[in-house]
Amino acid sequence: MKIEIRNLNMIYSNGNHALKDIDLEIGTGMFGLLGPNGAGKSSLMRILVTLMKPTSGVVLADGRDIQTIRKEYRRLLGYLPQDFRFFTSLKTWEFLDYSGSLAGLRNRKLRIAEVDRLLDQVGLLEVRDRQANRLSGGMKRRLGIAQALIGKPGIIVVDEPTTGLDPDERIRFRNILSELSQNDVTIILSTHIVGDISSTCQTMTLLNRGEVVFSGSPENLVRKAEGHVFRLTLSQQEYDMAKEKYNVISTIPVDGGWEVQIVSDDPPPFSHTAIIPNIEHSYVYYMEHKLKAELT
Amino acid sequence: MELFHNIRTVARYEARILRRSWFFRLFSLGAIFIFTIMNIGVFSPAGEEDWQVVAFPASIPHINLYLLNIGQAIVVIFLASDFLKRDKKVDTNEVLYTRSMSNFEYLMGKTTGVLRLFLGLDIIILLIGLLMNIISKTMTIDLASYFWFLLIIVIPTIIFSLGLSFMLMSLLRNQAITFLILLGIAALNMFWLNFRFGYIFDYMAFGLPVFKSGMIGFDNLSLILNQRLTWFFLGLSLILATILLFKRLPQSRVHTTVSAVFMLVFLALTAFCAWNTWSVYSTDQNDKKTVTETNRLFENSSFVSLSKAGIDFEHLGDSFSASADLHFTNNNDKPLDTYLFSLNPGLRVDGVNRSGKELNYKMTGHIIAVDPAEPLAPGEKDSISISWSGKIDETFCFPDNNDNVNTAPYRVAMLNVNKRQAFLTPDYVLLTPESHWYPVPGLNYYPSNPARLKVDFTEFILKVKTREDLMPIAQGNMKKEGYNNVITSDSPLTGLSLAIGNYRSDTLTVDSVTYITYYYPGHDYYKKDLAELKDTISFLVSGIMRDIETSYSAKYPFSTLKLVEVPVQFHSFPRMSTQTMAELQPSMVLLPEKLSMIDNAGFRRRFTRQKNRNTRNNQVITDKELQVRLFNDFARNAFISGENTRYVNGERLSEPVRYRLGPNFYFFRNNFRSAEYPVINAVFESHLQKQVSETDQFSSMSGELQENDRANLVLRNTSFRDVLAMNPKGDTIRTVLTLKGDYLFNLFRAKAGIDEFNDWFTAYLDSHRYRSIEVTDLNADMKEKFGFEFYPYLHDWFNSKGQPGFIFSGIQAREIIISNRVRFLVTFTTSNPEPVTGIFNVTFRTAAEGGRQMTGYYEGSGRGGSYNIMMQGQGPGSDISKIVVLGPAEAKKISIILDTEPREMIANSLFAKNIPGTLVLPIDNIVKSRNHTAYNEGEELLPSIPPLESPGEIVVDNEDPGFSTDNSTVMSPLKRILGVKKRQSDTYQPVNMFWAPQYWQAGVMSSYYGKYIRSSVFTRGSRGEKLVTWVTPLPKADYYDIYCYIGKSADRMVVRSGGGPPPPPGETPQGDNQFKDLHYLIYHDEGTEDISIDFGNAEPGWNLLGRYYISSDSARVEMTNQSAGRVVIGDAVKWVRAN
Repeated sequence: MKIEIRNLNMIYSNGNHALKDIDLEIGTGMFGLLGPNGAGKSSLMRILVTLMKPTSGVVLADGRDIQTIRKEYRRLLGYLPQDFRFFTSLKTWEFLDYSGSLAGLRNRKLRIAEVDRLLDQVGLLEVRDRQANRLSGGMKRRLGIAQALIGKPGIIVVDEPTTGLDPDERIRFRNILSELSQNDVTIILSTHIVGDISSTCQTMTLLNRGEVVFSGSPENLVRKAEGHVFRLTLSQQEYDMAKEKYNVISTIPVDGGWEVQIVSDDPPPFSHTAIIPNIEHSYVYYMEHKLKAELT
Repeated sequence: MELFHNIRTVARYEARILRRSWFFRLFSLGAIFIFTIMNIGVFSPAGEEDWQVVAFPASIPHINLYLLNIGQAIVVIFLASDFLKRDKKVDTNEVLYTRSMSNFEYLMGKTTGVLRLFLGLDIIILLIGLLMNIISKTMTIDLASYFWFLLIIVIPTIIFSLGLSFMLMSLLRNQAITFLILLGIAALNMFWLNFRFGYIFDYMAFGLPVFKSGMIGFDNLSLILNQRLTWFFLGLSLILATILLFKRLPQSRVHTTVSAVFMLVFLALTAFCAWNTWSVYSTDQNDKKTVTETNRLFENSSFVSLSKAGIDFEHLGDSFSASADLHFTNNNDKPLDTYLFSLNPGLRVDGVNRSGKELNYKMTGHIIAVDPAEPLAPGEKDSISISWSGKIDETFCFPDNNDNVNTAPYRVAMLNVNKRQAFLTPDYVLLTPESHWYPVPGLNYYPSNPARLKVDFTEFILKVKTREDLMPIAQGNMKKEGYNNVITSDSPLTGLSLAIGNYRSDTLTVDSVTYITYYYPGHDYYKKDLAELKDTISFLVSGIMRDIETSYSAKYPFSTLKLVEVPVQFHSFPRMSTQTMAELQPSMVLLPEKLSMIDNAGFRRRFTRQKNRNTRNNQVITDKELQVRLFNDFARNAFISGENTRYVNGERLSEPVRYRLGPNFYFFRNNFRSAEYPVINAVFESHLQKQVSETDQFSSMSGELQENDRANLVLRNTSFRDVLAMNPKGDTIRTVLTLKGDYLFNLFRAKAGIDEFNDWFTAYLDSHRYRSIEVTDLNADMKEKFGFEFYPYLHDWFNSKGQPGFIFSGIQAREIIISNRVRFLVTFTTSNPEPVTGIFNVTFRTAAEGGRQMTGYYEGSGRGGSYNIMMQGQGPGSDISKIVVLGPAEAKKISIILDTEPREMIANSLFAKNIPGTLVLPIDNIVKSRNHTAYNEGEELLPSIPPLESPGEIVVDNEDPGFSTDNSTVMSPLKRILGVKKRQSDTYQPVNMFWAPQYWQAGVMSSYYGKYIRSSVFTRGSRGEKLVTWVTPLPKADYYDIYCYIGKSADRMVVRSGGGPPPPPGETPQGDNQFKDLHYLIYHDEGTEDISIDFGNAEPGWNLLGRYYISSDSARVEMTNQSAGRVVIGDAVKWVRAN
């Protein structure tokens, strides 16, 4: 399914202009939405899952305004909100059953089979009869993704899915999404964790202050930072000076000083080595350096 | 279908979530536990099996759901508002909101979920009830009622509560505020709105009478359905409005439109049903006004006297058509140029003719004015035929009474029952004269003179055509003539009643009276319960009738007595014009179905209990003896002297059981009329049909105000005429009428001689039966017989505002010998200082073996506990010994000779300032002179009124201005706004043995001190924070002996709390004396002194507190509520100058 976002604006009643003239095209596969807190990601997500109506502009699904085809569109939707909570008195399988039933799985036998399949897929089959309030944080997120997947949705929207997960859980989660993206499914992943994007998304958009500041593949974003990421070994005095002038990405203490990585348009006046940037470097370069420079 | 699938899914899981909430679990488990206990306790054979409840098969589902509904209505509010609280936090539910379902489906699912859950609980409770129903040996099963009550009580309440909760939560988005508002609405419904404005605001069906009769089912189904649908539809509208307001983007335009359209449709239906409900109430009010106003137009008109009526009646489902040949006389002084008849306004006159020739007539409301062509001269007779048809408009009956469940509650247990005055349905008919179902030459209510009543004694011949399977019943002998049932009355009647239904009957003829019972199939349970009485019932019935005849000094005047079972909804209101209720008709008693509203009618349960009690006490009594006892108890209670007691706004009101046969011995047989004093017949009736019950005797000893006391308080500053003009409540008018009747008949007896008058009047009534006698004729006859005219006395009796007052003193008894027989001479002095003539009568309690002990449950002001009262040496009260007339400011010495030793003199001051009006004066010492001097009974007029107090004595009673309490008389503004009643009663209250008030409450008793009002004040014993004060100016500084008055009955009556089983003979009952130490603070020249008096050891009467020098102008004694006893009591204080 192809999602097109045209001139999307969202202005809240308090005057906050959360989204400004957003234009995007999202095809099948994993699509990453990256941006700092307050960039407008959640507003865009909520519009995409029909929890909210935009102030202006449209979201088209295969060319049709999702606001006019909510019934069909929601039928295709699987959604995992950022703050996923559910009824503590329901058991794991019951919650999936509830979601599955609403997702159109009417046959109880088939629905239960699907529930168990998904629980197995996300590694929760062993706790199928455990009440929700007795699941760990990771288990709850996995249950969240399971409920988003039930009913084989064509569009899956996941908002900050890996927040609070340990590295193992995070990798497992990314793998689940990657596997899904192979099945002609549109997965929209909103996150502020750049690593989630780099390891899963074919295309991505960078949002800042309600505007699209980058749109393309993660590789393109990385490419934009090439030649602008440097590794330096600095004394304490130099380090203090560098902190003032450059965006320091990482700091490692070494004998008699510091090994730091910075992003900068120009090579720094210290002994340095240019390194190959990753997406995190690119994100920082783009958000903290380039946009600031553009503004000034 | 996706719609239903989604609704079902949401409902299933939302119900599951709610079911697992601790609040619901707690509520449901609590409800199941409580209702199981209640069902076992109330309905099962192991429980109470109160006959009033178990007589109705529908009472199990009704009581269960009525009570559960109250709890549910509140819990639903909490759960529903909690329910939407989750939706307010979008994150929680947004995974559901993004699913493909419409808001309609989601909210309908939620609603269905809650409904499903509560209905599930209701069904569990009903199944518990059904189990009891199956186990019960007494109750039949009415499965349909289980369904009906669920439908009419529970579902509208839940739907409305849900709708309102959803709506308010959507608008306010604050659970606490929503909950408070909803709880406020629920409380308002339960405590104030439920019965007001025609039940229209009673969303919980708390006050709405939804009672289901075992004979006719629901009697007011149209009102019930309209009222319940009002709230059901409003609830649905609110749910649909919530759908439209729901904070989620809608997904189905169709569903949104349907929601909006249906919301409007349901709102319209709400308005329609509300209007129907309201119109029943407003029409009722308006129709009653119309009837009253129409009556006002004709109340001064003259009517004919109906002597004979031949009525042809055809039952046509919920209507009827009839025609009548009416024979009448003009008993008025003037010729009549118009014949006036009253006919129920629901009926339409089809024609009026005389001997086949049509007569002109005009209808004004319910009044038919027939033009006879020529005036009917006084004493002349005429006859006309009238035909009419239609339905009965019940609002016509008792136009001065409103069906208010608060002021005139009619309940089976806690369930409100509709009050019906007539039934006209395809399966059941009940028409009594009150409904004017046939043309009546007179009005049912005279607005300017409600005490007036026109009574004709008419011979009726009634032909009834109805369905073959239905049996018509009316007074008289019945025979079948083709399709018609012909019923001919064997005596002239004051009115004719007709019942038609699926009746069965049993007949018993005893002593030339035929007793016929008419009952519905299966309702003759008493035959099985009292099976042993088969061969003795004739003797029992004969004995009871003999007792009644003896007490009324008259033979039962009719040849039949028909006991007809009628639906429990049949209910009449008290009237000023007669004390005879509509439940009693000439030679016919309309008994509530299965005798449900009559005490002692649950024979089986009473039998088992009594049997068990006898076994425990090793008493041997045969089943037959026991059944005889049960039958006699029932019959005496129902037909002779039973009383119903109810509490209205904390006040205890007793009214005679409605089925007492008394009216057959006066009201249905005799009538006295007076244009000047129209109330005279009601007064005669009240006196002549009065029966003293055991309850009266007990309540007089407990310090409770008696009916004559209440009446005297009403008449204290008001004339009888003015009281009638105020149109007081039924209870008040009954007590006033009885008091005035007692006064009048005591006057007759005083002037004519007690026995002489009684014998003459009994014969007079018998020889003048079935006639209406002018009171002036009675006056003339009495003048001729006794040389005494009572008519001139009636003016003051009716119009005067003053009351006499009696003071009794110097009561002495002496043993004397007359004709070699030991006799007892009782002398006392009595005076009437008031400027109004008064009458009192005197009876004596005489020495008898042993005493009486009563145990039971005492209830007053809503609090109660068991009591134990023991009276020593009291035999049954004897007949009146003397009636004394005291003129204004007169004093007399009275001497009475008795055959047996007197223990107490009981003076009944009748109409007087004395409270209590029945004074019990102990006779402690009998002087044994045994000399043979001649003694004379009689009255000796004293030259002056003896002083109340001796010289040198100053008494301050609690009724005097020198007495004060620290009771606050100022109410808080909030209490005033909310209309909270002042807890301190304005009138006198008995001392409650288990709960004494925290304020000083006045009470009356013979043993207390007082000139006319023998009262004291009492409060709860505590640490001394409450205070009463007696102050008085003193004439001179000197030593004074100071006394306090202890009002107790010379140790003859001991009232102890605690109850328990009766003690063995000779021992006092167990329990704690509620009065202990009383603390008086004496103010004197050397300061103050605290004197303690032990109530138990104190002498009845004046007790010396000490001698003190007092030089100040004002003497002062205080008493606090400091006491180890439960109650502290203060009465009077006396200062006696020592020198």
